[in-house]
Amino acid sequence: MNFDDIKNEWSAEQPEGDSISTDMLKIKQAHTPIDRIRGKMKHEFFYQLFFLAIMAFIPYFFNFSSAMNQVFLMFYAITCGFTAYYFFKFYLFYKNSYDMSLDTRKNILWFYYEMKLNIELYKALTYIVAFIGAAFLAVYLFVEKASIFARILSKLSSVYILLNCFISILIIGAITELWAWYYYGKHIKQIKAVVDELDYE
Amino acid sequence: MKETENIFLTLINQHKAIIHKISKMYMNGVEEQRDLFQEIVLQLWKAYPTFKGDAKFTTWMYRVCLNTALIYFKKDNRKVDKIPLDENIDVIDINESEGKEEKLAYLYTAVKELNVIEKALIFLYLENQSHREIAENLGISEVNARVKLNRTKEKLQFIIKKNGYEF
Repeated sequence: MNFDDIKNEWSAEQPEGDSISTDMLKIKQAHTPIDRIRGKMKHEFFYQLFFLAIMAFIPYFFNFSSAMNQVFLMFYAITCGFTAYYFFKFYLFYKNSYDMSLDTRKNILWFYYEMKLNIELYKALTYIVAFIGAAFLAVYLFVEKASIFARILSKLSSVYILLNCFISILIIGAITELWAWYYYGKHIKQIKAVVDELDYE
Repeated sequence: MKETENIFLTLINQHKAIIHKISKMYMNGVEEQRDLFQEIVLQLWKAYPTFKGDAKFTTWMYRVCLNTALIYFKKDNRKVDKIPLDENIDVIDINESEGKEEKLAYLYTAVKELNVIEKALIFLYLENQSHREIAENLGISEVNARVKLNRTKEKLQFIIKKNGYEF
């Protein structure tokens, strides 16, 4: 195989067809993995806003006592605070533009670590909201359903209760990890393969 | 803005063969090649403010085009944000070009079996880039670029031979 011949033919190859027009510059949607993740996060942002709004009506749905209302407000404020903090972080990520004219290694590594960082942020928010939810449920059962709950607890051993808490934490962790992987994993995997190939000597 | 757009369009139209070749190397079907072509043009336009003119336009263009192709994620058909460029942009199918450019057609077929980095190496090599330039574009050492390129050329020769063709 003569690569010089190939090079000559390669240089001579010219595409047929019309010129690239201004219409092609007007498409707003890019399809890099970062753009995909940003698109998904934007959707999630609206879903979470919707759920936060729905959550505000929980005391009315469940007829909370005034004491429970106070507790709910406290948990709700904490949830909103954490969510606002993470949304701010996501917003910074969303606005952080990338430079495709860097050399390939820098460019790929930027994408890789930016994606990793944001997926970790996403998971952290999910964990926090899940644990706040679980803690609120526990308080609700202790305050509102104290007699029934105390009766059930008295019938269970401490080991069994601890084991249940541990399994619940594991389930929350597994769901969070699986959800993040299902939603964003394939993008990370694709970029990681390129990083590994570039590093391979 | 309009003036910048016109200068940009003139420049990429002069060098659109680069985008065509990369699209053909990285994607299999004609539709996918068109999508990648479109994505590269968009990324070139978005990155155009980073072109300062202190390097050759083609050098800058190689980087943006290859970086886009390396991390490009195929679109879902239902989400394709497409403008009617299909008739305008001619991304030639390998089978169509077989008669005219047999060697190139075999090359493109063989290149499909390379990984994304090997494709970038072969592309830059065929574009007459030196080992140093290849290393700079990919962000690896010159020695590593030389070693990787030699391996890739051997692999490519093997694939072409395996496919029953030799030149």
